[in-house]
Amino acid sequence: MSTEKSRLNRIRRSLGLETQNEWPSVVRERLGTYLLLGIYLVVIWFPIYYIFITSLKPTSEVLSLPITFFPRDPTVQNYVDIFTNRPFEFYTMNSMIVAITTTIVCVTLGTLTGYSFSRHDFMGNKTLLLSIVGARMIPPIALIVPFFQIMSSPPLIGGLTGSLYDTRLALILTYTFFNLPFAVWIMKNYFDGVPESLDEQARIDGCSRWEAFFKIILPMAKPGIAATAILAFIFSWNEFVFALVLTSSESAQTLPIAVSLFVADDFVDWAHLAAGGMIAALPGILFGLFFQQYIVSGLTQGAVKE
Amino acid sequence: MSTERQEWRRKLDKLFVPLTVGPTLLWIAAIIVYPTAKLLISSFQFRNPVTNEMEFVGLRNFRRLILAREGSNAAFGLFNPDFVAFTRNTVVYVGCSVTISFLLGLGIAILLNKDLKGRGWFRTAVIVPWILPYVMSGLMWRWMFQADFGAINGLLQRLGIISGNIPFLSDGALAMVALIIADVWVFTPFIIIILLAGLQNVPEQLYDAAEVDGASRWSRFWNVTYPFLKPSILVALTIRIIFDIRALDLVWVMTGGGPGKATEVWASWLYRTAQVFNSPGSGAALGVVLLAVTFAIVATLYKIFGESPYEA
Repeated sequence: MSTEKSRLNRIRRSLGLETQNEWPSVVRERLGTYLLLGIYLVVIWFPIYYIFITSLKPTSEVLSLPITFFPRDPTVQNYVDIFTNRPFEFYTMNSMIVAITTTIVCVTLGTLTGYSFSRHDFMGNKTLLLSIVGARMIPPIALIVPFFQIMSSPPLIGGLTGSLYDTRLALILTYTFFNLPFAVWIMKNYFDGVPESLDEQARIDGCSRWEAFFKIILPMAKPGIAATAILAFIFSWNEFVFALVLTSSESAQTLPIAVSLFVADDFVDWAHLAAGGMIAALPGILFGLFFQQYIVSGLTQGAVKE
Repeated sequence: MSTERQEWRRKLDKLFVPLTVGPTLLWIAAIIVYPTAKLLISSFQFRNPVTNEMEFVGLRNFRRLILAREGSNAAFGLFNPDFVAFTRNTVVYVGCSVTISFLLGLGIAILLNKDLKGRGWFRTAVIVPWILPYVMSGLMWRWMFQADFGAINGLLQRLGIISGNIPFLSDGALAMVALIIADVWVFTPFIIIILLAGLQNVPEQLYDAAEVDGASRWSRFWNVTYPFLKPSILVALTIRIIFDIRALDLVWVMTGGGPGKATEVWASWLYRTAQVFNSPGSGAALGVVLLAVTFAIVATLYKIFGESPYEA
């Protein structure tokens, strides 16, 4: 049988012998794999396709029967509408500012701290690292009550005029809570993979610790930094619950909130919601398509240690 | 170089660790330890609706959440019927969606681990649902399951499987099924990535050896793949389960806990209690319970799937 043949071929291959022509079983298995993966992809991409075509339909077509799976006359009017009738430029700007600032803070602190944890034995460093990582285990939603209380009470620090409620700063501060522990963890694991002899060489050559870090090690850590940055950006960009609790107007509301605002109690404006949803989904789709390997390496570095 | 400058450099070097670790630690303490402490304190307090002041009430918040009202004739005797119902919903929601997405993710990861042309392309296409905003995904699925103009009803009708429209989201059991489908859609990519990373750690020669020994597919999986996959399974399940218990986004935008209370889970209950009903004490108490349950689950999973991956 074919499996027998492939087994034989494996043995021959492992002995360095030439393999017999094994294409029938291999081709059949491959085709089966491609078929299954193909079906899976079609099924999981269908909803994205459907929301995309909804965003291109005029409301009259969205709410007409029978349902069309290709828009009858596609239009970008919904996209124009959400920027003219709704302050989508503010929501988009808020999302950008919050996500980018959070990313910069988390990457900067995460890289420095991750490096120290990777290279230096200092007092209680294992315990400290564990508590930083453990902090990620705290369910954020458990903390919505205290966060709301803290952000809506008068500021502790002078110079701030009002409470932080409904400001982008509140979101930035909050999002570092999700992302900083993760950033430290990814970067620590990343630096663990950079040989320590490089640091030592730099030190022998007369570099200070800072110089060794910035000149020698940091440039080698670019892929790790990219992974951390992309994940921190996506997590902040997509966050919904805290934005819902901590903001109330377009001065701080982000795109996920803006999209949810198309849902009124009994009526949902699906055509415009779909357009807003596509805008909110854009970075995720683009990052996925272009930087998939960084996302994967970041996730597996942060989660599964090699 | 002047000696003064060298002195300065040496001093700065000594401060390397404090300067690189210090800010992060202070920040994490401020943003996590302080709110957590505040959470614990709030859970013992009750806001007096008249004076708007917080009063210390001991364990009363917890008692009110978990136990039946005194003198009431609750169906479940000792416990608050809401607590029982929402816990059951949470277990069904989390249990079903984690199991399904785990098995599906394992299957796809095994397929993707094969020597395929265009594997990178497949991986890219597979990952996207996970990176979209959960709110967008939740609303998207709500639109898919919409009774009159939704794509699911449309497809099923076009295929001749059903004749009338199924009101997915206004039937309790169907709403839960819809929620689970959406959840599986969102989180299977995560399982795939983590398990795929684990599968790539399995040495190829072991498969060959097992195959030469005539091991069946099943026994190859159990004896060769599974031991190497265990750490990845642990991470995938831990993160998946704790995330599902605490995630509000999907439930909130798809069903809002409804119809009635059919899809109310702990996360939505917490949010409703704390925000909508404006009862920070009860919300905080529920948060404390959630925290305790999370840690219990993590500890259990570690017991089952072996050592901590956090060991250096």
